[in-house]
Amino acid sequence: MKKFVGALAASALAAAAWAAPVQAAEVRIGYSIAKTGLFAPAAPSQINAYNLWAEQVNARGGLDLGGKEKRKIELIQYDDQSNPGNAVKIYEKLITQDKVDLLLSPWGTPHHFAIASVLERHKFPMIGSTASSVQLRNMKPGNIWFTTAAVADKLATAMVGLLQSAGVKSVAILTNQLPFGQENKKFLMPALKAAGIEVLVDADYPPNIKDMTAILVKVKAAKPDGVIGLAYPGDSILYINKAREVGIAAKFQYLLVGPAIGFFRGMFKGAADGIVTLGHWSPHGDDARSKAFYAAYKKKFKQEPDYLDSVEAWVSVEILEQAVAKAGLDKDKLRQAISTGTFDTIIGKVRFDGVQNAVTPTGFLQIQKGELHVVWPKDRQTAPLAPKTGWK
Amino acid sequence: MEFLLSGQLLVAALIIGSIYGLVALGLNLIYGTMRLLNIAHGDLVMIGAYTGYWLFTLAAISPVLAMLAAGALAGLTGAALYFGLFRRQLAGSQPIERIEANSLLIFFGISIVIQNLTALAFTASPRTYQALDTLVRIGEVSIAQSRLVALAVCLGLSAAIVLFLRFSALGLSIRALIQHRTASRIVGIDVDRVQAFTFVLGFALAGLAGTLIGVTEQISPFMGFPFTIVAFVVIVLGGLGNLAGGIAAGMVLGLIETYGVALTSANLRSVLIYGVFILVLVLRPEGLLQKRRLT
Repeated sequence: MKKFVGALAASALAAAAWAAPVQAAEVRIGYSIAKTGLFAPAAPSQINAYNLWAEQVNARGGLDLGGKEKRKIELIQYDDQSNPGNAVKIYEKLITQDKVDLLLSPWGTPHHFAIASVLERHKFPMIGSTASSVQLRNMKPGNIWFTTAAVADKLATAMVGLLQSAGVKSVAILTNQLPFGQENKKFLMPALKAAGIEVLVDADYPPNIKDMTAILVKVKAAKPDGVIGLAYPGDSILYINKAREVGIAAKFQYLLVGPAIGFFRGMFKGAADGIVTLGHWSPHGDDARSKAFYAAYKKKFKQEPDYLDSVEAWVSVEILEQAVAKAGLDKDKLRQAISTGTFDTIIGKVRFDGVQNAVTPTGFLQIQKGELHVVWPKDRQTAPLAPKTGWK
Repeated sequence: MEFLLSGQLLVAALIIGSIYGLVALGLNLIYGTMRLLNIAHGDLVMIGAYTGYWLFTLAAISPVLAMLAAGALAGLTGAALYFGLFRRQLAGSQPIERIEANSLLIFFGISIVIQNLTALAFTASPRTYQALDTLVRIGEVSIAQSRLVALAVCLGLSAAIVLFLRFSALGLSIRALIQHRTASRIVGIDVDRVQAFTFVLGFALAGLAGTLIGVTEQISPFMGFPFTIVAFVVIVLGGLGNLAGGIAAGMVLGLIETYGVALTSANLRSVLIYGVFILVLVLRPEGLLQKRRLT
């Protein structure tokens, strides 16, 4: 009896499969990200952007492959535990074993840097997002691109411009020893010197720093006009807590990565007002594409996007989608399409020169009354820069 | 260099020092009475930190109350381990050196199990929360409420325990056990009861300190090990089994760390702590604050 029921079920299934319309396989898109470990607080911003994109593309009927057909997207995600070495193994596996059709980028410069060689070896093009590196740019790889305008040398020039416009004549520089912070500092120091801005305190600290009081007491005693914290999310949180306690009164206070993440402003409420951070996007302008992205993100995740990381991740998939629509899934054609095309994104037109975004100017955001505004460059401002007044 | 005179720096050093003192006190109690080397001590700190985090995030319970719950939870863990594992080890007739060596291995295993179970349950991602973050001004120094509470609780509890050991009958039996296990059994001390109490107390102190630490630091399953190391450095500085000396040594280490970092670089924090550890082990292995014993 059992056998009979089994056979019946099997034939019913076969019949159902027969009857269903033939559906093309999904486009498999893989990536790894820091779901756990040191960088984990930053990763959801990027994961959310990827998921939102996949959902929207599938709702539109799928990814347009060179204008010939549309296929739905399947995202394949692994946790690299914040370890760049793991990312290398995972991307190798994605390409050789999972045989994915396309790749999305992991979180952060160390991971992009680590997997660049895997991409080169397999000639597999991938658009980067939350990363930039002058060192990697100088190696002229051919299969990775950076959407961000925040490359350390351009960033140094823009920072000096911003400091001068704010009348800052002296600064303290606090640097996390991770590569992005270090590279920023490398270009910032000579730029400050050339502009005649004095560096009163120059302190490096390890990524897992627990107490900044000793450093900030020095900063307070030196009374600089500005504090430049080349920080990551964890130490950005630490900075706000301790700077508020110690009473750092500088009128310009900058934290490299962290304040653009949604939870940051909620966590500190008024205390974070006046903090400047890296970013060149804000929904407060009148760009329709940006507004649509902002509204969809907020609706789906019940929180604001990260103005830096969600945006970079979104721009990377916007570019990927447009390049695939032109070139299909063939790696050589795709590489060609990405390197030579001009793309419409929420940060405006983007075109690559080598690995680097050749169009978008480097910008800065400032938290004002709990909202993030573009304060630099001036022609993209959604609000003018305001001095930081106390910690509330 | 005048920043070295800042009251802010001194208060930071005292806070770190008092936390180190309290964390080390629990370790020292257990080592002193039973010669058990609790490598998992820092993981109790971590459990305390998570208790504070979840009670605040899910039920908006203040860390001041949560630290009691954390102490109770860690104490219960201690009771389970004592009656489940260590009581039999200690009751046997094995020499004390054997117990010491075994305990190191057992606690090492326990530490790994606790860390990984926590990582499985809550993921390895670091967490933070903002509680008791009103600023309090004392003269020119301003300090977050959470850190002021940590300072007061750590100093208060450490002092209370030292007094308890000096003046209560149970406290005196603990000290007797620290001085001489066999002799204390001969004079009629209920060694098993005293050991169980000390074990639970040592664990509870670590859990309680953990809640206070978790308010100001990032919480993760692997945050405990540095505290184990620091606690060992502190009790080596103060002298193994010397409880008051340990509290003073905690303060000394807090001062060395804070002023050392201020004078050199935050990158050298670990070098400072391990440097002091090695120096003391080489030059005064019986501890800075311990009288030399004639044995």
